[in-house]
Amino acid sequence: MSENTLLRMRNISKSFASNKVLVDVSLEVGAGEVVALLGENGAGKSTLIKILGGIYRADSGEIYLNGELKNIHSAAVAGANGIRIIHQEIILVPDRSVAANVFLGREYVNRLGLIDRERMERETQALLDEFHINIRAEQNVRELSIGMQQLVEIIKAISAEARIVVMDEPTSSLSQAEVAELFKIIRILKERGIGIIYISHRIEELFEITDRILVLRDGLLVGNVPTKEAEKDALITLMVGRSLKNYYTRSDHPVGNVSLEVKNLSHARFFKDISFKAHYGEIVGFAGLVGARRTELMKTIFGAYHKAGGQVLLDGGELHIRRPADAIASGIAYVSEDRRNEGLVLLNSVEFNMGLVCLRDFVRGIRVDKAKWGRMVEQYRRKFSIRISSPRQRAGNLSGGNQQKVVLSKWLALNPKVIILDEPTRGIDVGSKAEIYEIIDHLASQGTSIIMVSSELPEIINMCNRCYVMCEGRITGELEQAAFSQEAIMKYATSVRHS
Amino acid sequence: MENIKKPSPVNGIQGYFKKNMGTIVALLVLVVIVSISTPKFLTGSNLLNLLKSNAVNAILCCGMLMAILMGQIDISVGSTVGLSGVVGAYLITNAGLPVWLVVPCCLLVGVLIGLINGVSIAYFSIPAFVATLATMSIGRGLTEIISGGVSIRIRNDAYTAIGLKSIGDLSVIVVYAVVIILITWVLLNRTRFGYFLYAIGGNKLASDYSGVNTKFYNMIPYVLIGALSSIGGVIWSARLGSAAATLGSGFEMDAIAAVVIGGTSMSGGVGTVGGTVIGILIIGVITNGLNLMGINSFWQDVFKGIIILTAVIVDVLRKRRYTDN
Repeated sequence: MSENTLLRMRNISKSFASNKVLVDVSLEVGAGEVVALLGENGAGKSTLIKILGGIYRADSGEIYLNGELKNIHSAAVAGANGIRIIHQEIILVPDRSVAANVFLGREYVNRLGLIDRERMERETQALLDEFHINIRAEQNVRELSIGMQQLVEIIKAISAEARIVVMDEPTSSLSQAEVAELFKIIRILKERGIGIIYISHRIEELFEITDRILVLRDGLLVGNVPTKEAEKDALITLMVGRSLKNYYTRSDHPVGNVSLEVKNLSHARFFKDISFKAHYGEIVGFAGLVGARRTELMKTIFGAYHKAGGQVLLDGGELHIRRPADAIASGIAYVSEDRRNEGLVLLNSVEFNMGLVCLRDFVRGIRVDKAKWGRMVEQYRRKFSIRISSPRQRAGNLSGGNQQKVVLSKWLALNPKVIILDEPTRGIDVGSKAEIYEIIDHLASQGTSIIMVSSELPEIINMCNRCYVMCEGRITGELEQAAFSQEAIMKYATSVRHS
Repeated sequence: MENIKKPSPVNGIQGYFKKNMGTIVALLVLVVIVSISTPKFLTGSNLLNLLKSNAVNAILCCGMLMAILMGQIDISVGSTVGLSGVVGAYLITNAGLPVWLVVPCCLLVGVLIGLINGVSIAYFSIPAFVATLATMSIGRGLTEIISGGVSIRIRNDAYTAIGLKSIGDLSVIVVYAVVIILITWVLLNRTRFGYFLYAIGGNKLASDYSGVNTKFYNMIPYVLIGALSSIGGVIWSARLGSAAATLGSGFEMDAIAAVVIGGTSMSGGVGTVGGTVIGILIIGVITNGLNLMGINSFWQDVFKGIIILTAVIVDVLRKRRYTDN
């Protein structure tokens, strides 16, 4: 261990139920070093971070700070040891001031035990000025843009004696200018000898700001390379664990007539003038950054949100969708990005969940056709090789991949004409991902029209026939398969911001 | 970097009026309507009476505000008023204990009920509505048992003085209420406890991750609510000179109504003592006005229900407008 090693995590392992999330992971961070943590969703990055932050406890392994063994059993202990975690979702109290948020949990009090608001505001303002963040300490957090809130999180993290700062996808909702601002802050922190763990999916960013890159895959540390010697393709191979060619399934099949057509669809606050077409047998992608409003668009088509104007046509006829039930009746299915909240009734059984969309087929009046219901469950279990011990197993206990297959089964029972998949592989392990891709390709080859929202560019590039790119509530580009490239898509995805 | 050039938030009197504009206007409109309908309203003695009859509600509101700020609720306050009032009357009249011993006993009753509420809600994650519904039933039942279903007369002058004394024309219970309101203000605005309360109500996760002991700080307010309710029970039974099993029934309604009307969000994190005071006055003027006009109390309940609904809908609409931006 070198002299200036700040943090050392040794042989950390963690399981949830029978699911091994981390196996013997070790990591070191030196003073003034920026270490990247790279890995797919479900690789174990956030679990590792939550163990460092005292939110989870490791099953085994040790954490050393400045060479001293520490038992970090709560967020408070982690905080007291100078560990600061900036979570991916912004976690601030919206109706309180910037200063109150920055000092939350360690407010200054005077001799009488009363809050010293002026001092908190003064010190917060000094920090904001130091990092050239143009907001005021007494402003309500709710008034700030998402990017600004992210910067407030960072100020909060470093305002107290910080030794290790962890940033989990800090740039996912930042504009280009704000990213530049963030990098400036990171460089200042580096100079002060603070160790930084930087998590991001955007590999280009890592080359710009980090010193060393660690790669996690399926809970194992599979790579540890200095950024200078790292190569993008090699990193991806490490991360995915196999060459990308046999990872995706794409069969050649003819594309049919127009299925869904959207004309000038608008929403009061999310998007404007959206027009696009989808065809039978085609997989149409929707790429874009977080906040491009793709999910909101899909939910509006599906009737979960109300449109402000525009038309949705299916097979050339206009649909009047006012609620999801109308969309379902027309043969449109929507597989939500938020499987746990919007896709499944976690407390209920696999069987129950699979029957939800087409309940009418199994329950008529007071007659429940258990046999038919069971046959349907069995059919999909086999078709998608869903690993369950019994149809009565709780949906909440399944792995992400199996949960997603249950959700897909529920919708496919409807025999939809159009199926909208919103981030279909989010939070799913690599093996199941490949299986999901196979299912999607199979559906398309049978003539189903597929619309796939995805933030993973390789997914769009390798699965889709055509893709639209959205940015801040508008479609900014349309690309045919031949023209697909990460650069082209990113250009459109950030186009509004550049102009 | 975006350029935000907003006027700095105004504090003090000016800020108070700005923040509570809607409710202040509503209060003034109500005062005008009631004054026109009945000349008896705008008299000194009636206004003093109005303050006196709303003092206990004001004390309960200080507690209710804390529960609602956390995005929760306490519907057991009325029953705790009843239980501690009846316990007080029983100990004074039937057991013959001295006042200096009786009052702490009553407070203990409130603290215990608050502790049960707080522990069930914060440590066992029982929804506040359910936990306090249960203690409400327990409290009401015990009140019936102790009072034996009849009203207990209180003939101890030292005890009744707690509610009957006045300083000049001003009843002493208005003074209690004002003092408690001021203490609550300091607690919420100038102590860590208050900061944590707002933080838990605004974003519990953020508080957790910031190292706040959210369970403990979620529990404490219920203990305070219990204590405040028992203070209300002592004052109310002293003022009436008797305690019956129905003492304090429905008090939770007025408290919830005043807090919500005062601009406190039912989803937590937003609300002020200042706003709540206006809410208390609005409820007070409505009750007082309807009484003066001779409209019976059942209709008053109907009106209060409608007012609570309206206030909550206004809050929801305000939130919706926020997310529109």
